[in-house]
Amino acid sequence: MFKLIFIKELKEIIQSSRFTISFAVCSVLIIVSFFMGAQNYLASQAQYEATIQENKNQMAANSEWMMVQHTIMLPPQPLMALVNGISNDIGRNIEMSGRGELRPENTRFNDEPIFAIFRFMDLEFIFGVVLSLFAIIFAYDAINGEKVNGTLKLCFSNSVSRASFIGGKLAGSFIGLTVALLIPLLIGCAMLPLLGIHLNSDQWLRLGLILASGLAYFGLFLALAIGISAMTDRPSNSFLIGLVVWIFAVLIMPRASVLISGRMVEVPNVDQITAEKSRYRIQLFDEDRPKMADFSAPEGTEPQAVMQEFSKFMRELGDERNRKMEAFEERINEEYLNKRREQAKIALNLSRISPASVFTLASSQIAGTSLELQNRFMDSAKDYQKIYADFMNEKTGHTGSSGFRMIISTSDDDEEEEKTIDVNELPQFQYETASFTSSAANSILDLGLLMLFNLVFFGGAFAAFLKYDLR
Amino acid sequence: MDTMNETIKQAPLLEARNLTKVYEDGVKALDNLDLQVLPGEIYAMLGGNGAGKTTTINIFLDFIQPTSGQAFINGINANEEPLEAKTNIAFVSENVQLYPNFTAIQNVDFFVRLGGRHNYSRSDYETALNRVGLQSQAFDKKLKDFSKGMRQKCGIAIAILKDSPAILLDEPTSGLDPKAGKEFIRLIGELRDEGKGILMSTHDIFRAKEIANHVGILNNGILVAQKTQAELKGVNLETLYVEYMAGYMDEAEPSLVNNLSEA
Repeated sequence: MFKLIFIKELKEIIQSSRFTISFAVCSVLIIVSFFMGAQNYLASQAQYEATIQENKNQMAANSEWMMVQHTIMLPPQPLMALVNGISNDIGRNIEMSGRGELRPENTRFNDEPIFAIFRFMDLEFIFGVVLSLFAIIFAYDAINGEKVNGTLKLCFSNSVSRASFIGGKLAGSFIGLTVALLIPLLIGCAMLPLLGIHLNSDQWLRLGLILASGLAYFGLFLALAIGISAMTDRPSNSFLIGLVVWIFAVLIMPRASVLISGRMVEVPNVDQITAEKSRYRIQLFDEDRPKMADFSAPEGTEPQAVMQEFSKFMRELGDERNRKMEAFEERINEEYLNKRREQAKIALNLSRISPASVFTLASSQIAGTSLELQNRFMDSAKDYQKIYADFMNEKTGHTGSSGFRMIISTSDDDEEEEKTIDVNELPQFQYETASFTSSAANSILDLGLLMLFNLVFFGGAFAAFLKYDLR
Repeated sequence: MDTMNETIKQAPLLEARNLTKVYEDGVKALDNLDLQVLPGEIYAMLGGNGAGKTTTINIFLDFIQPTSGQAFINGINANEEPLEAKTNIAFVSENVQLYPNFTAIQNVDFFVRLGGRHNYSRSDYETALNRVGLQSQAFDKKLKDFSKGMRQKCGIAIAILKDSPAILLDEPTSGLDPKAGKEFIRLIGELRDEGKGILMSTHDIFRAKEIANHVGILNNGILVAQKTQAELKGVNLETLYVEYMAGYMDEAEPSLVNNLSEA
């Protein structure tokens, strides 16, 4: 009986005009999202290469390593284009210095602020917003529609158990719709190599897992809509309830969780932190000012020797200030980061009430575009900072820190033309993405929650129908 | 037919024993209903809205549980062993609504299989649909384009193909045009003649008198009158029905019923 109802459900779905329309719309959106993602990635890759080359050219024009301004950049990844996460919101460039705080700058939305308003239509948006809504639209009358039409009564005038009916209906709807969605998704995947995006096996695995979690997310909304339909008598009521639940789950809860966590943990904003750092920097400089005023060279010292002595004195003062400043920044940054982490943790945990948040967290974690992306980029940059400092120290005797520099150069008309530096000597910045295993392990909670939501909603729909008034 | 039933003792295909249903809001929809439908009989339940006709059918289909009493289909308790009981019954509702995106053949195929019959071919379906008078051009058309009469024909074709001993009809001629109604009654008569036991709820007293072996009149859940076809020959059923429905006569005076003027 289950098989018969399952097949009927499949046929009914495929033959309905609702399916034809929604399948066409979803297919177009999915394929467009793959296409746009691929185009965005190619554009980002071209921009990345151009920026790196430009920086190299600028550096290569210098004759002194001390004059070099080196910028490192977060390399674009194909999955970043398909599941944006925070990749467009964080600064992609960092001007490197041998010591001190590193500041990521130049977000994607800086370049294209219009997308900050409307955002990109990536896979996360397609699944998270569009397909979940389609699931509601598709299944809101799955049970009560049959009741209103009279087919439910006719079905149960036969020797049909409620369990096999709802089981067949749930399985038929889920398989029918997910198989249908798989077609454009697979077409989208097949388009990637044709568009010039060649994923490695790790990235294919990630993409596969993202699509699987997307389909699980779609499935839970389908089960939710069927469940609501099995708890109400009229399709108009179940549609309204489904829509309200969807609005809360997809639009309200994720945002509300951030607001609530903001109330629960007060975190100073970046401006306050910057102002505090500036105050301390000025304080340190003010403390050094009398020492600078007291500087004096022994009587009869040559001016050039005085300058060298002064330069050494200033460097020592600067180094001491920098040490104090770094210690202060480290402490204040740590306090700030701890509070921010606590706030984020509360926000994330609260938001996990919503399946939409769970899917967003899972997919961005797998794609490598979760909140961890920023930390990872900064960690890579800090690691590179040490390498860069050692290199600069070797080349210049200094760590290549930004800030006050005094360079004395003498010129001699007879001297040969100055040699430029060889930028290839500079160690390359390498951004290491998290391994698939690590990403999967980090997303295990959210993937588990997605499965749990599925179980709860499928079970709920099942249980609701067992008590449903068939008349 | 009545004579045959009297001479050959047969077990009832449909039987209600002291069937009572009181809803949660306190409304008594059925009060000690007793009725029997033997093979080869049509029992017509007459009654106004809320008389208890549909409640009776819903209890036989196990859509609701009786407060007390029992309903049997071919000797099987319909509420204790509903799946087993339903293998012995076919149901045609007032307004047969099949799956609108399926064709007539697809709908018939699905519901007949759901009824446990898996051995039919397309030609069997076509024969049944021809028998109920559906035009062959309509066999492969989607149900959403069908009139009510055409859908009713599909419904009765499904009941025929299910070939169960008992049939429940819930106001089957309601809303049909006279021609379609007459055709429907002819088909029911054929099924009766094949030995099916049919319980039919209806408002249509003329059809009931024409086809039914037994007529029961329900008022506020009480079976206020029950007549055989032979008894009805001497009674103006219309007057009887209207007066019962209007409450002019109460169940304490059943003898008056028999003395009503003839049609």
